[in-house]
Amino acid sequence: MSAFLSYVLHGIATGSSFALVASGLVIIYRVTRVVNLAQGTFAVFAAFMAATLLGAGLPHGAAEILAVLVAAILGLLAGVVAVGKRGTSPQASLIATLGFAIFCYALEILIWGDQPQSFPGLAGSFEYLELEFPKQYAVIVVVTLVVFALLEAFFEWTYVGKALTACASNPYAATLVGIGVVRMSLLGFMLGGALGGIAGVLIAPLSPMSYDSDLSLFVNGFASAILAGLKRPVFALAGGLVLGIVEALIAGYAKASYQSALALLLTLAILVVQAARRPALQGSEE
Amino acid sequence: MRTELYALLALLLGMVCLTGLGDESVLSLYVLFALAAIVTVGVSLLMGQAGQVSLGQGAFYACGAYTAGVLTTQGAPGLVGLLAAPLAAAALAIVIGIPLLLLRGHHLAFATLAAHLIFLSVVGEMTITGGDVGLQGIPRLRVGGFAFDSVRSYAYLSSLALLAVVIIARNILVSRPGRGLRALSTSEIAAASSGIPVALYKLAVFALSAAFAGLAGGIYAFYMGYLAPGSFPVLLSIEYLVMAAIGGLGTIAGGLIGSAVVLLLVHALSRLATMSGMPQTAPVILSYAVYAILLVAAVLFLPGGISSVITPAWERIFRRTRPGRGT
Amino acid sequence: MNLGMNLIEVEELVVRYGSMTALDGVSLSVSKGEMVALVGANGAGKSTLLKALSGVVRRAGGRVRIQGLMAHVPEGRQVFSDLTVEDNLRLGAYRSRDRDTSWVYALLPELERTRRQRAGNLSGGQQQMVAIGRALMSRPDVLAIDEMSLGLAPLVVRQLARILTELNQTRGLAVLLVEQSALLAFSLCTRGYVLETGKIAASGTTGELAQSPLLKDAYLGSAGKAAS
Repeated sequence: MSAFLSYVLHGIATGSSFALVASGLVIIYRVTRVVNLAQGTFAVFAAFMAATLLGAGLPHGAAEILAVLVAAILGLLAGVVAVGKRGTSPQASLIATLGFAIFCYALEILIWGDQPQSFPGLAGSFEYLELEFPKQYAVIVVVTLVVFALLEAFFEWTYVGKALTACASNPYAATLVGIGVVRMSLLGFMLGGALGGIAGVLIAPLSPMSYDSDLSLFVNGFASAILAGLKRPVFALAGGLVLGIVEALIAGYAKASYQSALALLLTLAILVVQAARRPALQGSEE
Repeated sequence: MRTELYALLALLLGMVCLTGLGDESVLSLYVLFALAAIVTVGVSLLMGQAGQVSLGQGAFYACGAYTAGVLTTQGAPGLVGLLAAPLAAAALAIVIGIPLLLLRGHHLAFATLAAHLIFLSVVGEMTITGGDVGLQGIPRLRVGGFAFDSVRSYAYLSSLALLAVVIIARNILVSRPGRGLRALSTSEIAAASSGIPVALYKLAVFALSAAFAGLAGGIYAFYMGYLAPGSFPVLLSIEYLVMAAIGGLGTIAGGLIGSAVVLLLVHALSRLATMSGMPQTAPVILSYAVYAILLVAAVLFLPGGISSVITPAWERIFRRTRPGRGT
Repeated sequence: MNLGMNLIEVEELVVRYGSMTALDGVSLSVSKGEMVALVGANGAGKSTLLKALSGVVRRAGGRVRIQGLMAHVPEGRQVFSDLTVEDNLRLGAYRSRDRDTSWVYALLPELERTRRQRAGNLSGGQQQMVAIGRALMSRPDVLAIDEMSLGLAPLVVRQLARILTELNQTRGLAVLLVEQSALLAFSLCTRGYVLETGKIAASGTTGELAQSPLLKDAYLGSAGKAAS
């Protein structure tokens, strides 16, 4: 029982980071119709940045926040590359975000070298029911819940949030009403950058990141987003947690090396079943 | 269309001549190019003509390589291994294609990426493939009495394979099914209502591009003599995509040009970066950076790829030397 | 840039989509407080004209001058389906910043009933009202409406027509009514234009236009034939 619980808790922690990555993907996708292949890159960059800032003497909290802001700017740059040029198709934008992510590889290796990095999170661990788990778990869960609550509030109650949703819902009408679609797209990318950054600084203390960690973060984030349906960001929380827990259970009870493969298989199965149930050729999917 | 064919043949003849000359280092680069080109032509067709995004071609490449490697290390003759490679890759494509091709757009892109990762995971676990450590001691390819044991011999072999692939792809493009394919990529609904068996065509192109990749992988296995999951990272699939995009999606010439440009550039950069004075990570940094810039520039400013610039120029030259003839 | 009484002035407008010319030297005007009709068959270029007026497509030639604010109610309603009616309206004020919706609800009481409903769940007629309400929120001087009657029941169309007339008469809102149905457009408007394959084929008061033999057959159909 305690083993089960510890797997679940670990799954909640990793799942939260998946959820954050996923929410960024969903927001960007909803507003721009682009799948951002650089979403994991924001997390890695922020984690590296935080490690450097902490090493330079900045206190905990300030370093992370600054790193997230840098990630937001990185998101903005990704947006400029992806949708800055008029008439770029979503397929072309997808490839452009890939190019951006690869460029970030070069940047990351240039600045930080190609070895994995980490930094200490909240030190120490809790003890509960004979279980020991890192205090960082609590930080992750609390921050994730707060972030998602803020996201919900942003989209449900603020004017800008509604304008973003309008842009996602009907870009033509949004233009007529005066909402700048490009500006909103860039805002979406900035949000995506920040969310990815938060995921990065939360999870880095638990598992060291290297420049190519973005791939697994992206794959897991995307899988979570798909599981939750690429609609409201809040659903991504459920998707991420489910995926995280499933992976942790597989790693615990079966083989650790199978965890992502089986989780991916599960996601694919769901996707295919969904597609099979829908009548063929129902017009464009997205 | 004829001028394009002549251009391609001329290019390939040039390549074959090159393999007759050239020293070891040029030839080994050439082998890499030819193998990449074989895969990229398939990717280009898949993405450009049939409109499917695949981020997992590397898995079919790996499948071909492992098929050839496993069969020959278990005692099968080299030729059998080589011929089985594209067949196995195509079979794999059909098996995963049937469910996967129900998906569209970015769902399909994600699914192919996931498929690559799952494949790597499975291969890394099986003992027959040597698991994570890899498959060692793949016997050199022997056909009849001839042993492929020099770089030059593999340069010839891969040229032959590339020629075959180009001819097959060419024939498909100009055929009726080929036109049906192009109709597919513009509008599936319109294509279906014109009586085109959409699902069948999609699967066929998917399997064909996989077969190409599998063939290249098979040759790779004999060339290297050794395989490991680490030789086929996801980045490999992405490289093929980059080559196809830069060269020009949907064209054979694009597949060739894209692979050539990217490989030459990466090679030139590593030479530059390994000069004395540069940090150890310089080659990696430079190649990633140039890669990325090329990709973004191509996709934003030259959606037809480099071939969209070269092919019309070539045709203009050709028309000038043959006055009075139409295309 | 004083246009006198003219809110909208279009001179020799040319719009091209690639190699195809959608509008070929179109001229029209709308004055303060007027209700002007623009009729034409599918593909004549009506929607293109409106898009050129609101700046969504670029001009290849000619001039467009708009004095005051023009709100464009697009073809097919184009509501923000994922948002509530209230949010749709409030977003209509994106440019003007005055987000008070009460006066629009006063004009369109049916909207008040559906205030908190998701716009995508409403009927066609209700969505058309949302689209009009959303356009009104920007406090325009002229309302350009594209194919208001498309896909709506006659009863609903009559209701919308009444609302437009009321807006025109009580608030002095000018209206540019773009329709395939000349019957509706001519009954509401005082002046009109007929657009045919990118050119103005006829113009004048709606009385004159209704009598023109060109239109009777093409646009007014059996009702027109019966009337003659």
